[in-house]
Amino acid sequence: MIDSTGCRCRPSLVLDDRTRIRQRILETAGRWTLGAVTSLSLVAVLFIILFIARDALPFFRLRGLMEFFADKQWYPSGAPPHFGALTILYGSGLVALGAALVAVPLGIGAAICLSDILPFRARQAVKPVIEMLAAIPSVAYGFFALVVFAPALQERGGLILSVVAVALGAPLALLAGFVAGDLVADAVPEQRRGTHRVLAGFAVTITGLHLLGGLVEQLAGLRIASGTNALNVSLILGIMALPTVVSISEDALQSVGRELREGSYALGATRAETLLRVVAPAAGSGIAAAVILGIMRAIGETMVVWMASGNAAQIPQPWFNFLEPVRTLTATIAGDMGEADQMTGSERYHVLFAMALVLLVFSFACNTTSELILRRSRRKLRGG
Amino acid sequence: MRTETRGMLDRAFTGTGVFSILLLVAALLVILAPLAVRGLKAVVFQGTVEHRRVLLDKFGRGDRAAVQAEIAEVVEARAPVYVMMDRFQSEVEAMPLSQRRKMRAEFQEVRKLVGAILGDRSGGPASLLMRNQYGATRWDRAQVKLQALLFAETWDYSDNSSFGKKVHTPRAERFSGTALEPMFGYFRGNIGRMLLPRRTVYWGFFTDDSFDSHLFGGIWPELLGTLYLAVGAMLFAVPAGILAAIFFAEYAGDSWAVGFLRTCVSTLAGVPSIVFGLFGLAFFIGVVRVSPSKSVLAGSLTLALMILPTLIRTAEEAIRAVPQTYREAALSLGGSRWHTIVSVVLPAALPGILTGVVISLGRAAGETAPIIFTAAVSVGKPLRLWQTLTQPTPALPWNIYNLATEHEAVEEVRHVQYGMVFALVGMVLLLNLAAIVLRARVARKLRA
Amino acid sequence: MSGVKKEEAMTGVNGSSKTAVMRGSAEGNGMDAEAHVTAERFSVFYHNREAVRQVSLAIPARGVTAIIGPSGCGKSTFLRAINRMNDLVPGCRVSGRLVFDKEDIYGPRIDVVALRRRVGMVFQKPNPFPKTVFDNVAYGPRLCGLTGRAQLEEIVERSLKSAALFDEVKDRLGQNAIGLSGGQQQRLCIARALAVDPEILLMDEPTSALDPRATSRIEDLIAELRGKYTIIIVTHNMQQAARVSDRTAFLYEGNLIEFGPTKQLFTKPRESQTEDYITGRFG
Repeated sequence: MIDSTGCRCRPSLVLDDRTRIRQRILETAGRWTLGAVTSLSLVAVLFIILFIARDALPFFRLRGLMEFFADKQWYPSGAPPHFGALTILYGSGLVALGAALVAVPLGIGAAICLSDILPFRARQAVKPVIEMLAAIPSVAYGFFALVVFAPALQERGGLILSVVAVALGAPLALLAGFVAGDLVADAVPEQRRGTHRVLAGFAVTITGLHLLGGLVEQLAGLRIASGTNALNVSLILGIMALPTVVSISEDALQSVGRELREGSYALGATRAETLLRVVAPAAGSGIAAAVILGIMRAIGETMVVWMASGNAAQIPQPWFNFLEPVRTLTATIAGDMGEADQMTGSERYHVLFAMALVLLVFSFACNTTSELILRRSRRKLRGG
Repeated sequence: MRTETRGMLDRAFTGTGVFSILLLVAALLVILAPLAVRGLKAVVFQGTVEHRRVLLDKFGRGDRAAVQAEIAEVVEARAPVYVMMDRFQSEVEAMPLSQRRKMRAEFQEVRKLVGAILGDRSGGPASLLMRNQYGATRWDRAQVKLQALLFAETWDYSDNSSFGKKVHTPRAERFSGTALEPMFGYFRGNIGRMLLPRRTVYWGFFTDDSFDSHLFGGIWPELLGTLYLAVGAMLFAVPAGILAAIFFAEYAGDSWAVGFLRTCVSTLAGVPSIVFGLFGLAFFIGVVRVSPSKSVLAGSLTLALMILPTLIRTAEEAIRAVPQTYREAALSLGGSRWHTIVSVVLPAALPGILTGVVISLGRAAGETAPIIFTAAVSVGKPLRLWQTLTQPTPALPWNIYNLATEHEAVEEVRHVQYGMVFALVGMVLLLNLAAIVLRARVARKLRA
Repeated sequence: MSGVKKEEAMTGVNGSSKTAVMRGSAEGNGMDAEAHVTAERFSVFYHNREAVRQVSLAIPARGVTAIIGPSGCGKSTFLRAINRMNDLVPGCRVSGRLVFDKEDIYGPRIDVVALRRRVGMVFQKPNPFPKTVFDNVAYGPRLCGLTGRAQLEEIVERSLKSAALFDEVKDRLGQNAIGLSGGQQQRLCIARALAVDPEILLMDEPTSALDPRATSRIEDLIAELRGKYTIIIVTHNMQQAARVSDRTAFLYEGNLIEFGPTKQLFTKPRESQTEDYITGRFG
């Protein structure tokens, strides 16, 4: 080899002890430095738990668990104050449910479409759309919900809901009629099949459309007192959770592999049958993880709910009434901290940390569950 | 089941999938379109002479002579309004007491509305607040205020079965027979001459300070604050993220400790952003005391923690994507492990790492919840660099929230809110676009 | 397996193993007789799989030694063991001795970096760095501490000339090496390895990713370099081994079956397995 002057040399292959020890020390030190920097995440997680819990526990010590989890009275500045967070927990749950109702079907549909239906080029075009949806800051979503969507919902809510109902319901009714007619025809003797098919199909379609008509009539007459309500927030949160659901589900669907699909196609199954009966079950756990992470995103989101949920600490009547305002954990923390800020040490300050602790525990649970699910499914796919 | 039915179900299935994709695209458009269109109106709008006056007085911009000529022109056009108001004032003094009191109240309201449109009376005493000194700077706001001047708005609760109804009554009727009555007609006919609306492109919106709780001026302090926070977060997070990624990709084996560290990273990624905010408050400000109260430094540290997992993940992926053959080549030439990483692996992984950095930068810029308690204030001057260590700053995400929900005149600053959203979303999407382009170039290079 | 047994009995080394042993220096092939690299009952394990089994052979200095054998016979593993590239593979360990310059290179005090600078390597697929042609060749000298621009330029030019590439790229030294053709890339990799002036050049199927034209240029190059370096080349192409090498070792399932002068091994193999392989009956 050459030395630093470019001359030929044959250095000994054996290191002297000092160089060797120095090298070993340097390498070990380097490795440990890297490890230490990496452990920052570990330290951060520990500290987050520690500091949130440190300020949350005094609340539970002072007021007990019952008041927090079972009381519906949320009057933190009343005299005497009430810190019943049940309505707030319920609000978080309700909007998460609503968001899941939007994001899960849409997200899985889009994921299937991306992985199995769209041609390569279209997929390349759709991916940036999903990335953009994920990139838009939450405050922009919140602003849209508050300034654009809420007034629209308040003034033309009935119309918007009816249009949605018709757009979803009408094709469904037609399809149901078609399938019902076919099923009935299967059940009767050969010669009368035609008439039965037509009759049953018509009957189901008409019934469906009639029900839809009734629903639309109800919806159209609906008066929405305030556009800042659970429905508004659920829709927006659903859209925000979509990118998470889509990308993780798509990964799960992709990882199922070609062979399984080809096996099903070779048996004469249609694409729908292949995907629903073969691919979806195989990718099921991955999709479940996607749903969990999507819901986690919706529960942990702050700005949208703070700006557009109405922030009323109440349980809607009836319980599933999405048109009423609600209040969530995140919005309560964000909104009340300003008032509690100065009074460090007060119950009002600690109750917000108690809420943060609940959020933290929930997100840990979601994260661990989804990780376990993903890890298991990965092992299964690798092993099988 | 018949083959046709199966085909039909298959098509319905395909349709559902395509429908959800279309809905996704539609959602993006529906959300972005109003933000873009109305956001642009913060910059491009019909500006009145009042807008030009503000620019001249506060920023020294514009052609002084031309603006002064315009002012002379509008003063002349406005003169009859004040003449009529003066005449009505003396009329009121002559009225019987009960009527005088009622008329005074009504007149007070009219005076306020006229002031909102025209600003201070030329030659008269200057108002205390800037918002009263200047009239409507935007023609669209002037129109709204004109409507309020011409028609009084009352609520009619006579029908008990439903909500109250808005009723608009012409204000002129209330003053019929007085000297003020013709003023409303004059206003309606001559508002253009009194304000001289002109198409304005106000690029200064992005670079000007704001005045009087954002009623005048631009959003520079917010923009700068966002920049400080995001770049500050990157300063902390990028080195840590890349080192951690090197550890995971090059040094870490498969031991349980490494698995545990990985779990911690993904756990950190799942922590709700508001919890980061509380943690930043309790830890960086409460315990470490990086600053006596909110500061850009505390906010940056909090944001850095938040984006760290994303950075680690993208950087690790990028490092793992570097072909093993590069490492082998460098090692076979007698490079040490660390030298191989620095001289060969990292340069090759750079575009991928940059993609992650750019996306994280966008996320740090757009996140609100972590900075509420750690860095953001509603009103403030643009900071100098060294002030970031101790001072809080206004920032786009926080001020969007603040102006949209807590401002005393939300409608008056709607255009500023849209302008801020436009700036923020534009910034973030441009960063993402850069990431997409970067990634496409990497993909092309790898294929080649 | 009878051939193997016979071989054991003949040499008397390694009585306990099934490994065939040939001492290259003992073959009297007329080349420099001093052994440059010597393996003594050398084994490589991946986890518990023994990829190279108690191989003993002595490779003389200078000239070209080819290692042939069917895929998965352990020939690449053995080659990569010579400059300890297998250290990168998790779960890899060795037993026995592998001696270079009088030192067991798996000894506890070995400077791997120095070893790799003295034992260069060219890989199966051309793997230039995504840097300029110049920086690729200068990478090794810079590692050795060379900084002077003039000196670097001189070394780069010399190395590129040795690799018969200089005329083709002399106007493109500042361009990215990824833009070169596959054959040019591989010659660049050879130049890069030569730039640090190694004593041994390991070549791991250097032409398997190249077209016939580029292959023949590389073979010409090997012929030019044989007088200056000890070249050890792994190939699954027996014609190539016959064309370029002076000595050939045949590995099968991790065992060294036969090692001798190329001419003799291809015309009068002493082992039936070797004969089966070179006549195409398996592999």
